[in-house]
Amino acid sequence: MEDATRTFGKGSCPPGPVPEGLIRVYSMRFCPFAHRTRLVLRAKGIRHEVININLRNKPEWYYTKHPSGQIPVLENSKCQLIYESVIACEYLDDAYPGRKLYPYDPYERARQKMLLELFYKVPHLTKECLVAIRCGRECADLKLALRQEFCNLEEILGYQNTVFFGGDCISMIDYLFWPWFERLDVYGIADCLNHTPALRLWTAAMKQDPTVCALLIDRSIFLGFLNLYFQNNPDAFDYGLTC
Amino acid sequence: MSGGSARSLAKGSAPPGPVPQGLIRVYSMRFCPFAQRTLLVLKAKGIGHEIVNINLKNKPEWFFTKNPFGLVPVLENSQGQLIYESAITCEYLDEAYPGKKLLPDDPYEKACQKMVFELFSKVLTNKKTTFFGGNSLSMIDYLIWPWFERLEVLELNECVDHTPKLKLWMAAMREDPAVSSLLIEAKAFRGFLDLYLQNSPEACDYGL
Repeated sequence: MEDATRTFGKGSCPPGPVPEGLIRVYSMRFCPFAHRTRLVLRAKGIRHEVININLRNKPEWYYTKHPSGQIPVLENSKCQLIYESVIACEYLDDAYPGRKLYPYDPYERARQKMLLELFYKVPHLTKECLVAIRCGRECADLKLALRQEFCNLEEILGYQNTVFFGGDCISMIDYLFWPWFERLDVYGIADCLNHTPALRLWTAAMKQDPTVCALLIDRSIFLGFLNLYFQNNPDAFDYGLTC
Repeated sequence: MSGGSARSLAKGSAPPGPVPQGLIRVYSMRFCPFAQRTLLVLKAKGIGHEIVNINLKNKPEWFFTKNPFGLVPVLENSQGQLIYESAITCEYLDEAYPGKKLLPDDPYEKACQKMVFELFSKVLTNKKTTFFGGNSLSMIDYLIWPWFERLEVLELNECVDHTPKLKLWMAAMREDPAVSSLLIEAKAFRGFLDLYLQNSPEACDYGL
């Protein structure tokens, strides 16, 4: 995988300028927000390099890329920086030729952005469930809240009667949602999809997509990362790398 | 005249009919800063529109069929298509209608405006240009303006005393035709706010 490189931590040398013809993404192999950007880079066939950041031990130089050290951040050969995962994904769609992930029609574009608003609680809820389970806490309320969010998405698929959120083909909105659904199993909350058959069909269809497949994270490696992460081990982020 | 002079529609009201061809409808409320964003863009781009004011303290049941969240602004066109969330409505108008583009064409410049929108308060102290998007007024200025207009009305403008660049920006904004045509009259806004804080269903129609 393109991003199978060791993280940069405190004391590391800043990477040089981005070579012409490439775009760089500052990332972390297990981060769902960065995953969105990597999906778009792959789906559009954009030549890129990945620099993984140790999120528990951030390099000082990284704050010159993002004011609070968040990922993902895009950097191009003109030294332009773009952050916020959704903004980065839209930038890539606008700036690069070839397959357009957002629809051309202004109303259809607006619809995808409105759908994104429906999703905003999911990242927080899935993370809270993960933390609760890992810390041995009760999370029935959290799972209920998450199921409710999934019901809202289920309704959309039912109303539209399409396989994907943007229609009969995969598009930007599906890639923006996907990373959290890929993580349901390793987070231990896959049963939250029990009452949403259309959403289950959607996840099955997503797993058939070549881009999604190419970036699918190995389950045992993800679990290894999570174990170390919750032990506060700063080596967690490099788990599973052979080099 | 700010935000349409029609009385708001409330619970029990009949839903308005379809939107006539050649017009776009905005569901709004005269004192709502989010809806004002959309009105600014409609004005700035010269888009033919009609305004339906909604009583936000006593919402018509049919309004939830326009926006499940029950919030303004909402756009409805003659094809019955509905768009909500103020920033999404503004971007939709910029893309769907001809004339002056408010968002830049350049993908990086456009991304910058969106990053600014996200980091509103942090950028305030770092901004080196006259307007938030550069040296001329553009989308990001309209998205931010409604809150600053209200600061002055509520006499909270001491907040901008330490930021002379911001004061200059506010003065420059008042020169803009779209902004000046929608300026809220101070007494009307204070009257609205008084009633609103008392949860009065008359608040939204204050001054009509």
